[in-house]
Amino acid sequence: MTEQKRFKSGLVPSLLPFGFNVERWSYSIHRVTGVIMIGYLMAHIFETFQLGAGLTAWNNTMAALRSLGPLEMVGLWIVAGSALYHGGNGIRLILNEMFGVLMGKPILPVYPYSPTSLGRNQRIAVWTITAAVLALWIWAGLYLLAGLGVI
Amino acid sequence: MDKVTLKIVRTGGKEASYELKYKKGMTVLDALTEVREKQDSALGYRHSCRMGICGSCGMTIEGLPRLACQTQVSSLNTDTIGIEPLHNMAVIRDLVVDLGPFFGFHTSVNPYLVRKDIQERDSADREYRMLQSEVNRFLQFDYCIMCGLCYAACPTAALDPMYTGPQAIAQAYRYMADPRDEGWKQRVDLLDTAHGLWRCHTAGACSFVCPKDVDPAKAIQLARMEVLKARVLRRKERGGSQLVPPVTTPAKQGVKAPPFDFQGGTEK
Amino acid sequence: MVETIDHDVVIVGSGLAGLRAAVEVLSRSKSVRSLAVVSKLALMRSHSVSAEGGTAAVLYPDDGDSLELHAWDTIKGSDFLADQDTVWKFVNLCPVEIRQMERWGCPWSRKDDGRIAQRPFGGHSYNRATFAQDKVGFFEMRALYDKLQEHQNWARYDEVFVTSIVIENGVFKGFTAIELKTGKFLFFRARAGIIATGGAGQIWKFTATSVSTTGDGIGLAYRAGLPIEDMEFMQFHPTGLFPTGVLITEGARGEGGYLVNNKGERFMEKYAPSKMELAPRDIVSRSMIKEINEGRGFNDDESGLSYLHLDLRHLGKEKIDSKLPFIKELSMKFIGVDPVEEPIRIKPTAHYTMGGVRVDVDGRVLDADAKPVKGLWSAGESACVSIHGANRLGANSTAECLVYGRIVGQGIAAYLDSSDSPIADADTSRLAAEENRVFGELFRNETADADVYQVKAKLREVMDKDVYVFRDEAGLSEAVREIEELKRAFQKVRVTDGGRVFNYNLQDVLEVGIMLELAEVVARGALNRKESRGGHSRTDYPSRDDTNWLKHTLALRTPDGPSFSFAPVTITLWKPVERKY
Repeated sequence: MTEQKRFKSGLVPSLLPFGFNVERWSYSIHRVTGVIMIGYLMAHIFETFQLGAGLTAWNNTMAALRSLGPLEMVGLWIVAGSALYHGGNGIRLILNEMFGVLMGKPILPVYPYSPTSLGRNQRIAVWTITAAVLALWIWAGLYLLAGLGVI
Repeated sequence: MDKVTLKIVRTGGKEASYELKYKKGMTVLDALTEVREKQDSALGYRHSCRMGICGSCGMTIEGLPRLACQTQVSSLNTDTIGIEPLHNMAVIRDLVVDLGPFFGFHTSVNPYLVRKDIQERDSADREYRMLQSEVNRFLQFDYCIMCGLCYAACPTAALDPMYTGPQAIAQAYRYMADPRDEGWKQRVDLLDTAHGLWRCHTAGACSFVCPKDVDPAKAIQLARMEVLKARVLRRKERGGSQLVPPVTTPAKQGVKAPPFDFQGGTEK
Repeated sequence: MVETIDHDVVIVGSGLAGLRAAVEVLSRSKSVRSLAVVSKLALMRSHSVSAEGGTAAVLYPDDGDSLELHAWDTIKGSDFLADQDTVWKFVNLCPVEIRQMERWGCPWSRKDDGRIAQRPFGGHSYNRATFAQDKVGFFEMRALYDKLQEHQNWARYDEVFVTSIVIENGVFKGFTAIELKTGKFLFFRARAGIIATGGAGQIWKFTATSVSTTGDGIGLAYRAGLPIEDMEFMQFHPTGLFPTGVLITEGARGEGGYLVNNKGERFMEKYAPSKMELAPRDIVSRSMIKEINEGRGFNDDESGLSYLHLDLRHLGKEKIDSKLPFIKELSMKFIGVDPVEEPIRIKPTAHYTMGGVRVDVDGRVLDADAKPVKGLWSAGESACVSIHGANRLGANSTAECLVYGRIVGQGIAAYLDSSDSPIADADTSRLAAEENRVFGELFRNETADADVYQVKAKLREVMDKDVYVFRDEAGLSEAVREIEELKRAFQKVRVTDGGRVFNYNLQDVLEVGIMLELAEVVARGALNRKESRGGHSRTDYPSRDDTNWLKHTLALRTPDGPSFSFAPVTITLWKPVERKY
C-alpha cells in the first residue's frame, strides 16, 4: 500500500505543539532530553573506552575535551538537567501508566468537559516536578560554576 | 467584531483568504458554509449534523484540532482565523482528509462484543444482566464519535504511521471493561504489539482535544494495566455476564387497550 | 466511462436501518458472497446518530404493558392512518430487537435489578421508551457499526453519491453513483438492493435534521417511476433549539420538563389536560404555534421569529447530568444556557418524514401497479410501510429502523438463498444517458444564470412559511407557485466548481434537484388533502374527515409534476375513533 503524504506529521510539528496542554509539552521535553542522554551515553562510553586504548589515546581525548573550554561544562550541565527532568518526569509517567495514579476513574462526562486524566492533581504533579527539577538544575549549575572557580 | 477573515490552507498547501461579516453566535462551520455558498463554491470540507455528534467536521482551527460545528468564532478571540486540515492524515482536497487508515485501525482491535456462545449472543430471548454501575465503568469510552481529532493531536501518530492510535486503543479498552465481553485475552494480544499500546507515551493531547470527553489517555493507561495484568501477573480470562433470569412474577394488569373491533387481526 | 461494480446486495444509506439490514444479511444468509454499504457520507456520520430520546418496546408485559397497548398507542397516535397489520408485526418484533441490540453491546440504561430500564415518552400509555442516557440513536449506531466489523465479506463505499435507481421491466438491476473521492461514475450491479437513505427534513429551513437529510432515496424512487406515499405528513418536533433547530429530546419532557409560555404558565393544560407535555408531537406542536400566534411567545428581534421555553430547572442538577447530559451540552454549546439555571429556548422544528417509498408489509418496494419490484427493498425513515400513518409517536422511529432492518435483511437472505437470479446487466445506453445527465451538467461551459444556493435558501424559506405546522389554501397555493418558479430557475443552474475530486458543488446541485421535486409533492399533496390529520393541519379544514380522506396519498412522477392517486388503509384491529388526550 503506497503511503500517502500525511499533513504536518513528522518531527517538527510533533515537538512544538503550540496551544496544547502542559502534559503534551512535557512529552516533547521528555523526548528531547532522552535523545540528549543517549547522545551523552555514547560519547561517554567512547571517552571512557579510550582508557583501555593506551595513555596517548587517553591524553588526546582529554586534550580534545579541554579544548572545548567552558563549552564542556555547559554541555555537562545540559546533560545534568536532561537527566533530572527525564528522571523526575519519568517517575510521574511510570506512576501514570503502570499504576493509574493521577489518571482518575471512568466517569460520566458532564458538560463543560474536563478529562480526569488532565485534572488538577495531574497538573500540580507536572508543575511540581518541573519546579523541583529547575531548582536542582540551577543548583547544579552553581556547583559547576564554583568548580570552575567563577564563583 | 464585525468582520471575520478565514485563512484556509487549501490543496497543495496554498493559503486562501476569505472575508465575511460576523453574526452573533456564528460557528466556524457557519462561516465556512457562507464562504462556500457566497464566495467560492469550490471550497471542500465535510459537515453533516451541525450538533457535534457525527464527527464529520474535524479540522485544525487556530492550531488545535476541533469540530467546526461547535467552535464559536467568538471563543477564538481573533478576527483572523487560521484553518487547515487535520494533521497526521493525507489530504484529499482542501480540508477533506483521508480517514481510511483511521477507520482501519479501529477495525483491527476487534471492537465488538465477543462471546464464546455465539448462538446465545445472536438469538437468546433475554438480555445480559448488568448493573448501571457496571455500565458506567465503560460508558465514557463509548461516547466516541470517531471524529479523528485525537489521532490528529497524538505525537506518536505524527511520527509512526503504523501506530494503532488513541481512538482504537480506547475502543479496545471499552470492550475489555464491558462485563459482557469475553474477548479480553484476544484484545490483550492485539494491543501488545510493536506498533500498539506501548507506543503511547501519555502526552495527553488526545484527551485535551476530544470533543466528547472520551479521555482516551485514561483508557490507554487502563488498557496498559490490563495488559500488564495478563503478561506479568498472568491473570486468566474471566467469563462474561449471564442472561437475566426469566420473569417469574405473575402478570400485573395495567392500562388496557380497547378491545379489537375485528377478529383475526393478530394472526401472522 | 462507467465503472461497473458487482455485489450480491447493495445497501444505499448507512443509518440504523441500513446497518441493521447489513448485519442481518451477513449473519443469516448462507450464500451471500459480498455486500456493499454505500453512503454519501462516511459510515457513522449518518443522521441516525442524532436520535436522542428512546426506542419503544414492550419489554415488560408482566408489569402492565402489553403488545395490544403499544399497537393501540401507535395506531391512535398515527391518527388512524397507519396500516394496522404492519403495526402488529412491528410491535411484536420491538422487544426482540432491543434485547438483540443489548447482546451486541448497546449500553442501555439499567434498573436496579440489572434489567433494561425504560422511561415515559409522549403518546405512550406505559413508560416503554428504552433509553441509553439521551443518545439512543448514537449508541445503537455504535453497536451496529461495531458488530459489522466482525464480518468479512462486505465492502464499504464511503462518500459515494447514488444518482439513480436502475429498474428494468419490474426487476431491480442496480444503482448508478458518483464516487466523490475520484469523480468516477459507477454502476453498482446487484441482485438485491435496499433504499435506506432517511427522510427529507432539509427541505425546511428550521429543521433538526443534518445537512445530509435531503430525501435522496425517496427522490430517486420517485424519479424511477415508483410511487411515494403520504409525503404531506411531516412531523414537527415540539422542542427544537432556537435558533439552530437542533433537537432537544422528548425525553426532557419525559423526565418531567415543562413547556411554558411568556406568562410562565404550562399551556399544555388547555390542549391535552391528561397527557400534558407528553401528548403526541403533532398536538404539542400545534399548541405551541397557537400560543405563539396568540402573542404568548417570546420574540427574537434579530430573526423576527418567536419561541417558547422548556423549563428543566426543577429537575435538579443530578437528574439532568445523569439522564439528560447531551441536551445540557447542546444548550450550553449553542445558546449558552445552562438548563439547571435557565429555561431552554425552543420552537417546533421539522423532524421526521412520515412519508416515503411505498413498501409492503415485508419491506419490498411496490411499483405503480402495487406489485413488488423484484430485488428492491426499503427500510427506515425513507420507507412508508406505513407504521406511523399521519403522525409518529416518539421512540417509534428507531424501533422501526431496527425492526424493518431485520425484516428486510431476512427477506433478502431468503431471496439470495432461494433464487438463482444472477447479477443481471442493465441497458448500457441508459447508463450512458445517466452519466451524461450528471457530468454533462458539470462540463457545460455557459456561465451560471441561477445560483443553486439561492434556490435552495428560497425553497427552504418558502416551506418554512407556507408548509409548516398550520397550512391553508392560500399559503399552500403560494408555496406550489413558488416551487414551480424555483424549478424553472433551477433549470438554469450550473455547477460552478469544475474539479472532479470531492465536488460538493455538484452534490449540492443534485441534492437541490431532488429537494425541489419532493417539495412539490409535499406542497401539492398538502393542498389536495382537505382535512386535518396528524402532522398535516389545515386551518381551513380543521377536523379529520374519515369518510373522504381515510386513505394514503400516492404520488407518481409525470413531466408536469406529481399525479396523485390513493390507496386504502389496512384496518384489521381497531376502527378509527376521535383522537383526544
